[in-house]
Amino acid sequence: MKRILMEITDFFSGMLKVMFKGSRWFYLWMCLLTLIVLAGLAAYTLQMKQGLEITNMREQVSWGFYISNFTFLVGVAAAAVLLIIPAYIYHFKAIKKIVVFGELLAITAVLMAMLFVLVDIGRPERLWHILPLLGSPNLPRSILAWDFIVLNGYLLLNIFAVLYIGCNQYYGKEPDRKIIVPLVMVSIPWAVAVHTVTAFVYNGMGARAFWNASILAPRFLASAFSSGPALMLLIFQVLRRVMRFEIQDGAIFKIAEIIAYAMGINLFLMLAEIYKEYYTAAQHLTPMKYLYFGLDGHKRLVPWIWTSLFLNTIGFFIFLIPRIRKNFITLNAGCIMIFIGVWIEKGMGLILPGFIPDALGEIYEYMPSVYEITISLGILAFGGILYTLFIRTAIAIDTGRLRHKEAPPIVPEEEDTPLAANIMTRDVISVTPDTPVEEIGSTLVKHRISGVPVVDEKNRVIGVVSESDIIFREVYEEPDLLERVANIILPEQYRVQKKKGSYAIDIMTSPPVTARENTPLRELVQVITEKKIKRIIIVNEKEEPVGIVSRIDLVKAIEKISY
Amino acid sequence: MKKRFNRRDFLKLTIAGLTATTLPGCSKNADWQDLFRRRFQELTPDEIKGFLERLEERYSKQYGVKIHIKATPPVEGVVFGYALDLSRCIGCRRCVYACVRENNPSRDIEIQWIRVLRLKKGEFDLEKAEHYYSPELVPEDEYFYMPVQCQQCENPPCVKVCPVKATWKEPDGIVVIDYNWCIGCRTCMAACPYRARKFNWNDPVIPKEELNPETHYLGNRPRMKGVVEKCTFCIQRTREGRYPACVEVCPVGARKFGNLLDPESEIRYVLENFRVYRLKEDLKTEPKFFYFFSIGWG
Repeated sequence: MKRILMEITDFFSGMLKVMFKGSRWFYLWMCLLTLIVLAGLAAYTLQMKQGLEITNMREQVSWGFYISNFTFLVGVAAAAVLLIIPAYIYHFKAIKKIVVFGELLAITAVLMAMLFVLVDIGRPERLWHILPLLGSPNLPRSILAWDFIVLNGYLLLNIFAVLYIGCNQYYGKEPDRKIIVPLVMVSIPWAVAVHTVTAFVYNGMGARAFWNASILAPRFLASAFSSGPALMLLIFQVLRRVMRFEIQDGAIFKIAEIIAYAMGINLFLMLAEIYKEYYTAAQHLTPMKYLYFGLDGHKRLVPWIWTSLFLNTIGFFIFLIPRIRKNFITLNAGCIMIFIGVWIEKGMGLILPGFIPDALGEIYEYMPSVYEITISLGILAFGGILYTLFIRTAIAIDTGRLRHKEAPPIVPEEEDTPLAANIMTRDVISVTPDTPVEEIGSTLVKHRISGVPVVDEKNRVIGVVSESDIIFREVYEEPDLLERVANIILPEQYRVQKKKGSYAIDIMTSPPVTARENTPLRELVQVITEKKIKRIIIVNEKEEPVGIVSRIDLVKAIEKISY
Repeated sequence: MKKRFNRRDFLKLTIAGLTATTLPGCSKNADWQDLFRRRFQELTPDEIKGFLERLEERYSKQYGVKIHIKATPPVEGVVFGYALDLSRCIGCRRCVYACVRENNPSRDIEIQWIRVLRLKKGEFDLEKAEHYYSPELVPEDEYFYMPVQCQQCENPPCVKVCPVKATWKEPDGIVVIDYNWCIGCRTCMAACPYRARKFNWNDPVIPKEELNPETHYLGNRPRMKGVVEKCTFCIQRTREGRYPACVEVCPVGARKFGNLLDPESEIRYVLENFRVYRLKEDLKTEPKFFYFFSIGWG
């Protein structure tokens, strides 16, 4: 017992030492956040004393800015963990760190969400009434009671996962995959559940036409999966700058692509909703009319929702078009746009039209009071402080600055593993797009190689021609779907003639699989097995071919390591 | 009078807030013993008695008036029903004021359990209703009036959504709230299709001389900041065989009240002899509050 206490004290004193050691910018950032938190705390003290009268909520609009932010943050929390899925599917290299950073963000977002509920309720000292055993949670009927349970479960799950990984690293042990994988596997559906249940809180109310649409929960998920990753992308880029956090551009662009799809679905669902309301033009339309165009001169939400629509649409196109999403300026602009766009749409844009007009048809226009905004900013700043400290601790543990004194020293990762530059075949023979296939064939035979890169006039790799490309051209040319259909339904003279490509450009595989010279062996192996290819073209920063790593090169390298 | 804060007060509080780490929301009257008690429905009669005595003492001290709190249980074989004759209502709002005098709601920020809507003849669109009409004289020729209060639903959505079981439907059909158990999350307000539920945005203000000292625990006893309240069909009166205050005061006899299970009751007479409707029937909340028209435009 005493030992455990000592261990804990040791850890925390170590943590304090590394946590607050930072540059001037770090201290400026923390001071700024602390000031905002203090302002929020002061406003909250006033609210405790005066009651919620200092907000602009009233009987007509009984939920406002707090609950709006709560809803949005639950989405961020859910998406932060859902991001692990693409990280797994696409084998992002920094997966372990993505898991930790994602779960830390989830923890922070859930805590902020809970704080927003705490500041919204009238009797916070009675919150224990909702606890199982101690209080009297209205289960299974009240969705809010469920929400409380799933949110707390989600919080604990993520705290446990992060603590488990962190403790193991602290003691210099490798976390057991048998524990980590199931944890992550549970937290992913749980993330979906958390957000669905939150949607159901609003969704199930017959009194509120605007929320009472079954499309609400799917929309929640779609918008969460665009705003959450948008935030993560910004965070990743900051982390990549300030620490050793190698997330490749490829991974970032892949996440950006996912954002585009999620936002596409979100916009589609929204348009489906707008269509239904406007075409039916029944009473359910009124809140939507208020939101988008205003009712009888009441139009305070109108500029907000159009801003949101504009930001989301622009963001969608930024992430949809590969060339734009691969430019970091437009990428980051898109992230910010989508984050703000969804914040408006799913915050005030969702909560307020539920109450306007109210159940008896009255219109009470709401905008948060100065106090509500101050308290909300305080909570967000608190989240900022929390996440900064979380991340700093995680980094300190990861780099070994915070480590148990008896733990084995960190083995510098991949120092000995050879890089592509060490194992590649250097003298690259390449061909141009207009090289005839016959000539390529004789080149392969002459040099006893199995494939050549195809380069353009600036010597940039644009494709690869391999043995199989040549073989397949001779024996099996699969017509595409359109051709097949045409061949069945058209009379003979109109049928599509099979084109026999006779130049490199006709048969090459494009885009080619390439890697940079400093790619480690492990990663090369991963790419080759995953994509079922025989060779990777190694390129320099100008995309010029400087070498080829084929399967036999990998075999040689692996053999060398084992001895 | 509404308390207003200027910047200096705000700054003062900032400093106070930094130093004070008092338990949030606990007024100086907070009774620790009662803070950690069980739910009202789970208390034994003895516990209720002790609890009510402590409450009476606390309220009497707070308001400087001797306040009596009872917990009259429902009468067996009674389910209350209400009917409102829209053809007679003249929109005078006497019911609203009588309710305020009877039920001790806050006068600032003002809470009223009854809301009278003014609708144009020939229309029945709530969105076009006027809530704040104030002509010299009522009734006005081109309008009719529809008072709305808690409809005491058979399927109350507010009860369903409450996360802590602080509100429930009593055996006599009245939906009640335990003000000492409500956490003030206001989900019930979002769920109510009739805007029947009201929230105490601040410490309720009731002038001492206007306080009604005859109260029921689940009804008109003084409430506190941060909890929800609503019409209880004057539970403190009706469980003792009296009419609700609004029924009693109505100058045109538009309000009818009685036991739905008693074939001889006034409410049964209305249900059997007039065509009635209930508000927002499509939501299947099954109100025990009926509207009817006994005569044409007079």
